[in-house]
Amino acid sequence: MLTHIKGARILDPANGRDETGDLWIRDDRIVATPQNGAHPGETLDASGLIAMAGGIDIHSHIAGANVNTARLLLPEYHRAHVRRPAETPLSQVGWTTFETGRLYAEMGFTTVVEPAVSPHNALHAHLELADTPIIDKAILTLLGNDDFVLGLMRSGEGASAICDHVAWTLETTRALGVKVVNPGGVAAFKDNIRSFSFDDVVPYYGVTSRAIVKALQRAVHEAGAPHPLHVHCNNLGLPGNFETALATIAAAEDLPLHLAHLQFYGYGKEGPQGFSSAAPQLAEAVNAAKTVTVDVGQVMFGQTVTISSDVLRQFGARGQARPKKYAIIDGDSNGGGIVPFEYRGGSFHNAVQFAVGLELFLLINDPWRVFFTTDHPNGAPFTTYPDLFALLMDKDLRAEWISRLPKEALAVTTLSSLTREYTFNDIATMTRAAPAKLLGLSDRGHLGVGARADVALYRPGKDVSQMFREAAAVFKDGELVVRDGKVTHDRYGRALHVTPVVEASMQRRMREYYDERYGLQSDFMRVAEGAVGRPHPFGTVACAS
Amino acid sequence: MKEDPIGAEAAASIAGAPVSLDDAAAEAGRLLARNRQPLIAGLGADIDGARAAIALAQRVGGVIDHMHSAAVLRDLDSMRETGAMLTTLGEARVRADVVLLVGDGLIEAWPDLSERLLRPPARPEGVDVERRIVWLAPQADARLPGFDRDIEIVAAGVGATLAANLAALRANVKGRPVARTGIPQAALDALAAVVKGARFGVAVWTASQLGALEIEMLNGLVRDLNDTTRFSTLPLVAPDNSAGVLAACGWTTGLPMRTGFGGGGPLHDPWRFDAERLVASGETDCVLWISAFGAASPIWPTALDVIALCEPTAQFAEPPHVRIAVGRPGVDHDAVMHSADVGTLVAATASRRSGAPSVAQALERIDACLAEADAPSC
Repeated sequence: MLTHIKGARILDPANGRDETGDLWIRDDRIVATPQNGAHPGETLDASGLIAMAGGIDIHSHIAGANVNTARLLLPEYHRAHVRRPAETPLSQVGWTTFETGRLYAEMGFTTVVEPAVSPHNALHAHLELADTPIIDKAILTLLGNDDFVLGLMRSGEGASAICDHVAWTLETTRALGVKVVNPGGVAAFKDNIRSFSFDDVVPYYGVTSRAIVKALQRAVHEAGAPHPLHVHCNNLGLPGNFETALATIAAAEDLPLHLAHLQFYGYGKEGPQGFSSAAPQLAEAVNAAKTVTVDVGQVMFGQTVTISSDVLRQFGARGQARPKKYAIIDGDSNGGGIVPFEYRGGSFHNAVQFAVGLELFLLINDPWRVFFTTDHPNGAPFTTYPDLFALLMDKDLRAEWISRLPKEALAVTTLSSLTREYTFNDIATMTRAAPAKLLGLSDRGHLGVGARADVALYRPGKDVSQMFREAAAVFKDGELVVRDGKVTHDRYGRALHVTPVVEASMQRRMREYYDERYGLQSDFMRVAEGAVGRPHPFGTVACAS
Repeated sequence: MKEDPIGAEAAASIAGAPVSLDDAAAEAGRLLARNRQPLIAGLGADIDGARAAIALAQRVGGVIDHMHSAAVLRDLDSMRETGAMLTTLGEARVRADVVLLVGDGLIEAWPDLSERLLRPPARPEGVDVERRIVWLAPQADARLPGFDRDIEIVAAGVGATLAANLAALRANVKGRPVARTGIPQAALDALAAVVKGARFGVAVWTASQLGALEIEMLNGLVRDLNDTTRFSTLPLVAPDNSAGVLAACGWTTGLPMRTGFGGGGPLHDPWRFDAERLVASGETDCVLWISAFGAASPIWPTALDVIALCEPTAQFAEPPHVRIAVGRPGVDHDAVMHSADVGTLVAATASRRSGAPSVAQALERIDACLAEADAPSC
């Protein structure tokens, strides 16, 4: 089928395009303007609308065992969500898989990465993703706190064994990339270590966090996964932790490295409360380190629940749980911590966190290396993105928000002095072009001929937030799925994964390892195509050769 | 894993008389469409079966409950009231230096328990874990097969309850005075010293044998112990894929079982949507009973319309009005289920593939018949 999108302002930074024009879709692809005489099956008058490629979220906790535990831990919020959608706590989190896919689509997002799946729980995560409609999705698989990788490092087996294991894990769990969470710190917590920094040593294994990051960074690169190692640094949330992030950034050296939710590492110890913004120092380091990419993990005010595989950190935050309950799971390799939390605008600490996120957005100068996340739902639900876009595009709106924050908090940040305003082109780069490049998804993030026909159309207006909250129309794989901010057609997308070459020796070794140590067959982790219960649930992404 | 065609051996009946699967599905669809609050109970199904059952319940405005909800919700209630610390069998097996077994029913809940937990695997290099296993037993002469020689038993004295003993232990660990206990003071002190001295302790129980208060006390004890050391819990899961069904309920509805869809959105109410209560009170007059893992079935009042998706050998006091024999997940067909050994969802390949329909396949037939509710036959 041929579809004609007529007269939109086409914002396609990947192809250097910002002009009024037409888009043509044939089946699931963008095609060139057909020869005279072609009759589109559907024509959409898009005059006055802005067209962008479908949005891509590189880091959002939308599926898997920990997310599901959070759902079951907080039934009261779900009930509130169903009954009174607009005004209640967590009303916008997109609590079920079905709601998650639809809410993303309504904002014009068509690809979302669940960034923290323990290999043991890969099938569970894929089952949830299979029940997440409309959008495409992917998982990052967790390594670096597991006995196998730490054991390889302890015995000094070297880079090639770790690379083989990374390839085996990516292939077995159908992941797009690898994430490491509090490298070594989660393993150390099982030995009752209560704080863990970049050069601390994991008991028994004798390896540092730094060594784990370096080893996995190289292994992921050599396995050919397009997405670089995705790092959740040590010391999340603690005053003075910007130094941990600085050390991690410096350790990246000449290979690519992605640092997740940098806002949570942007804290100094200055000021009367010993808590201050260190965003300027971090932004300066990111600006200088060309191999490093970051996402922000912006905090927005309201009730949420923090869901993290950083068990050490979540245990440390248990006293701040609101409501007062939490789940701490010492799982295989990682596990998780689920701690409900409410960010309050009147709180000194929360206001500093809010400011740090915006400072990072405004001070990091390359839109290809900094990404939109709220670390959903840890900083805020993903449904707050439209408000965040609006804040970054309008310094007056920002001033209005700032005027309501505690003065003492603003005094330890530079936010009030920042006047930069994002353009639509910045937003399109950071939510479309750059994420596609970062994840190695060459068929999306742009609107050139041959691209996947994931297209979001927005109706610009005075209220930027409203514009991004309710897309005027959204196409996924060429199918019209959203009109006027509401899903009109349900469909199911795919989970994207890489298929690196796996050495037979590693297959054998993993079988022996699981048999001896756990009395299990290593096959239990394998995500079979037919196991997730939907037709064509997967799509592959090419590895570098 | 592959989708099997439904074979000729599919056995179905209406009022005891053999019929085709299609006829049985049509009759089931007719009953479900006619009733105001259908109840989908049992829910002994694999993940695909659970998904199909939840979707059907949403469609007909019915209720979902699992045959082991009482035990599942006792553990879950404690977590969602005050929180929990949990670990997996794998971590417990590799790491635990203290295993605190609590209460009755452990071997029944998990026959492999001693084989999996009795001894830690040897480390290829470095220091092996030394394991101490203590059983807080229901009574002094209790036995725990498989652990006989390697276990220390701390038992309640006459008249003491497990809840009181757990309370005394928690108080003692916290350094609070304990005036009356069912355990001799010296034994209590010794037990407290063992759990406090653990480097990575794991408490193991089955909610089918413990009360809500005992579970809450255990979770509180473990939270307290983590102020100074590491301790976690390993509640053994109830059978019939209850943990898998709980997970599927979680991601599809945001809520556990005992959820109703009559009001449009899902509403969770552990009392109101308890299958037994719904039947006893007459609030439902149509039950779709699903039990693919075993032959057990409840005794239903005769006034009830019962549709049973069950094992071929299942016995009923009163024959169900519609009966469809379904395959056993992982035996007759490929299936995804919760694995107690792994502690998560795992795919199982059919060990003796047959043409018997899966729960999901049978429910899809019924669902298709609902779509043609006005048609004379499906």
